[in-house]
Amino acid sequence: MEKSLNKKDFDNFITSLRGKGYKTFAPKKNNNLVVLDEVQGADEISLDHVITNNSIKEFFFPKTENVLSYRMEKNQVQIEEPEGFAVKAVIFGSRPCDAFSLPVMDKVFNWDCSDKFWVQRREAITIVTIACDKCDSYCFCTSVGLAPDAKQGSDVLLTKISSDNYVVETVTEKGESLIKEFESVFSGPSSDSSDRQVATVEKKFEIEKVKPWLDENFVHAVWTDFSLKCIGCGACTFVCPTCHCFDIVDECTMTKGDRVKNWDGCQFKMFTMHTSGHNPRSTQGERWRQRIMHKFKYYVEKFDSILCVGCGRCSRVCPADMNISEMLEIIETEASQSENKE
Amino acid sequence: MIEALRKKAEELLKNKTVSVVFGYGEGSTPERTRPVFITKPEEVNKLTWNKYCVYNLTTYLKRQETRKLGKPAIVVKGCDARTLIVLMKESQIKREDVYILGVSCDGVGDPLAEKCKACDVHTPRIYDDLIGEKGENKELPFDERYAELDEYENLSEKEKWEFWQKQFEKCIKCYACSNICPLCFCDRCIVEKNQPQWIDPSAHARGNLSWNVTRAYHLAGRCINCEECQRVCPVDIPLNLLNKKLAKEAEKNFNYRPGYNIDDELAMSTYNEKDNQDFVR
Repeated sequence: MEKSLNKKDFDNFITSLRGKGYKTFAPKKNNNLVVLDEVQGADEISLDHVITNNSIKEFFFPKTENVLSYRMEKNQVQIEEPEGFAVKAVIFGSRPCDAFSLPVMDKVFNWDCSDKFWVQRREAITIVTIACDKCDSYCFCTSVGLAPDAKQGSDVLLTKISSDNYVVETVTEKGESLIKEFESVFSGPSSDSSDRQVATVEKKFEIEKVKPWLDENFVHAVWTDFSLKCIGCGACTFVCPTCHCFDIVDECTMTKGDRVKNWDGCQFKMFTMHTSGHNPRSTQGERWRQRIMHKFKYYVEKFDSILCVGCGRCSRVCPADMNISEMLEIIETEASQSENKE
Repeated sequence: MIEALRKKAEELLKNKTVSVVFGYGEGSTPERTRPVFITKPEEVNKLTWNKYCVYNLTTYLKRQETRKLGKPAIVVKGCDARTLIVLMKESQIKREDVYILGVSCDGVGDPLAEKCKACDVHTPRIYDDLIGEKGENKELPFDERYAELDEYENLSEKEKWEFWQKQFEKCIKCYACSNICPLCFCDRCIVEKNQPQWIDPSAHARGNLSWNVTRAYHLAGRCINCEECQRVCPVDIPLNLLNKKLAKEAEKNFNYRPGYNIDDELAMSTYNEKDNQDFVR
């Protein structure tokens, strides 16, 4: 049965969750930013932002984590594997684009081996999304096949139907059982549930035209031209909910150490540097091409998904105002021009 | 002013004084501009000038992709021009390698950038051509230039430590701060060296502290306060507070403002018997 949730009951929901041992995360103001972070009650939750500064990925794939610790004794190596990293939690108020990044990333983290850190956290965390009632000029979810009220990846979806009321839809069994567990917090169906307040996100390009053009244009002047202003930092890849490259390093002394998994990014010059000194992607143009190719060609070929959810974070934070949807619009135009020539 | 800028750029490209003009162009929103690299005289209309021209374009002098474009004319505000002086003094560029298109500036950013509030270089102190009115730069007194630090300096040591721990916790090690910095020009940064591993690459408390403190220290007595590190930080760490504090200490001890007087000797690489030595114990 369809349910609704009033804003005044958010606090009851968060407190009840915490009472039952769930950790609770939600969008929260932190100086100039709104970030997904732990909250104790609903008074800490921000509801008037477009999108959080950090993406949802850090709750499943944190910026740094120990994958094992070791200690060398005489002729032995003692290995200790981390435990307790998957904590029962609810992420409340994430956006549909962020939620969708999770099933997209499931594919790579369960590919040739199953990444236990990702998988166990996926099992432990339930996603309660709030559909977007506003957007900004960087948003382009509708161009990559999503919508501001898309359900994929969420366990429960809330959509605003009046200034303080939300219609509640369960998407997965996990969501269903969460709602059941906290049934008393929710109200019955709302009479105004047809009047959904959902943002209108402008469609910026035809995604169907992108991959065929990428297939033919590994060598093209646009890669260098567009990326001349790129400063080669990792801001775009680190705020991205679907960029998942990491580096493994040992932080150690002579006798003990930690093996650590850290976010890494393809825009860094060092990312592909070989020990020989040769760098197969020696220019920023090649590194920028890799970012686009990986998202819109390689991942599609390997996993049948686009590796982009249209959240626009990379463009918002870019120090040099590189804009990814603008890049895709250029590709669409190039594709249309070559079609016309034929 | 925009017309004068475009005309000058067109002339420089036409008579082949330069091969490229580094300037500001329209950005992806009305509140943003972006760096543009003009190589053809017919493209000078892409150049613009407004209060959103916050970037310090001299950073593109260190990048191989933009260096490849040939000798540049570079649009600089008064603050950015100070970077050029430091780069010359540190032997990174020669005076004849760049054509300096100075712009007179009343401040950028909306709201006004912190760096503009105590600015005393509205007219660049070095240029080949000046676009806009030549104003008289009157040097502001020391205390006024560093007034922004008052609140911070009133904190106790413990409070300062807590403040920075909280700030550095946010760091994601994207290195936007060092990549944007025109004075972070090492071909191989200390964080990229792992034999030995000077700085833990992980974005945990220890790694973030050692990275952020090292970055700031490497700019002590060199940073010209363009605030680009702080502007680009995707997690909003007030990095310029560290830089500015170190700039203040360097100026106090060595009576030196980076990039201000071209004839002044560098603070960090010049030995002077009269230098304050009381920190050696």
